[in-house]
Amino acid sequence: MMRFFPGRNHTPRPRRADLHTLAGPYALNALPSRDRDRFERHLAACPACAEEVHGLRETTARLAAATAARPPERLKDKVFAEVARTRQLPPVTAGQPAAGRRRPGAGRWVAAVRRRVRSGRQPWARPVALIASSVFLVAAVVFGSMALITQHQLSQAQARDHMLAAVLTSPDARMMSVPVAGGGTATIVMSHMAHALAFSSANLPGLPAGKAYELWLMGPPGDRSAGMLPHAAHGMTAPVVATGLHAGDMVELTVEPAGGSARPTSAPILRMPL
Amino acid sequence: MADMPGRPVRTGHPPGDPGGPDDLGALIRLVGRGDEDAFSAVYEQAAPTVFGLVLRVLRDPAQAEEVAQEVLLEVWRTASRFEPGLGSAQAWVATIAHRRAVDRVRSAEAAARRDDQSAAAAERAGYDTVAEEVEAKLESERVRRCLGTLTELQRESIVLAYYGGYSYREVAGLLGTALGTVKTRMRDGLIRLRDCLGVT
Repeated sequence: MMRFFPGRNHTPRPRRADLHTLAGPYALNALPSRDRDRFERHLAACPACAEEVHGLRETTARLAAATAARPPERLKDKVFAEVARTRQLPPVTAGQPAAGRRRPGAGRWVAAVRRRVRSGRQPWARPVALIASSVFLVAAVVFGSMALITQHQLSQAQARDHMLAAVLTSPDARMMSVPVAGGGTATIVMSHMAHALAFSSANLPGLPAGKAYELWLMGPPGDRSAGMLPHAAHGMTAPVVATGLHAGDMVELTVEPAGGSARPTSAPILRMPL
Repeated sequence: MADMPGRPVRTGHPPGDPGGPDDLGALIRLVGRGDEDAFSAVYEQAAPTVFGLVLRVLRDPAQAEEVAQEVLLEVWRTASRFEPGLGSAQAWVATIAHRRAVDRVRSAEAAARRDDQSAAAAERAGYDTVAEEVEAKLESERVRRCLGTLTELQRESIVLAYYGGYSYREVAGLLGTALGTVKTRMRDGLIRLRDCLGVT
């Protein structure tokens, strides 16, 4: 069964000493994405390395502070104009364990899902297991890029993992895969019971600097942003979990300024009724 | 819902100046709850570092302004996800800013300069000016002094990567040094810098 799950076992193991030296370039943000991903997988399994990176990041922050320069006054006006129409990400939900957090790897939430399925004693345990096991294989592939998250997205990822597990273990979890106008594929795993969906993509066209893909829920409660798609790694974007799903909602994907928009400002390249 | 959860224990960190680093962290947590006044204070504290760093990397004031705006907006958007236990607020903001600046540099110049040895040679001349200018303008005397304690290769590697936005492969090309050596020097240099600056 484990062989279905990409990650550690399939990653060619570079020499440990070699990996360890990447802490420097990593903290300087000087690694190309492939090396960065590899190193982040290593970090997840190496608390000493994580601690070192932590100290090196504080050091580079001092380098940043040493370059401080007064920005033009108009910058503040511009930022505050944007702030007024930019939705904030919701806080991490209550009930999350507050201590002992470790960066989750791809295998970790999959394992959590499996545990839940295995220990299920409820009447619906079997259908869940059936659905979950089929969702598993695909999800493991689709979301295999989980390990690619960056350090400062850590807590975000943890909240997302929690929701991902909720969506995937839901008895009514349903998976859809659809082509995106302009190229690429979107994969959605949704659950009305969990009032949430997980969205990931493969091979979307690259965007010019300053642009990013934004996900939307459009429907009876109003149109709302479900977040920005993260940068693609190996052509795939890590999953975005959209919560607060209502009956009659549609999912849309648009290209927006990288900071996100309050409402879509371009024609959707994906529109999908749920 | 528990209000104002206790500050998580920070491991491996000095407490920092009272009212300094911790102050920004507390403000960012208020911003995470939608407090625009707190964001105004965060702006006052963080904007010079954000703008200065982005400008240093991009070297173009117009682009720097654009990217700084994106960064500060990202601070607003993602403030609720700032996790004090994982590092200082300064490091969180600086990481966002540096990443955005580097993304901009690489998307604009990637195709042109990557793995292009002749271009690298041509840029070598330009680099010296950049490195000197950067070091001369450093506003923090302490950082400058600590950079001065590094070996030349350590310092050049770090300055090119962090202030120049170059990848370590590009740095190796610019310095005509083996990739493995550059990786090691970046790490050794940062560790020495960390110790010199009293960051633990």
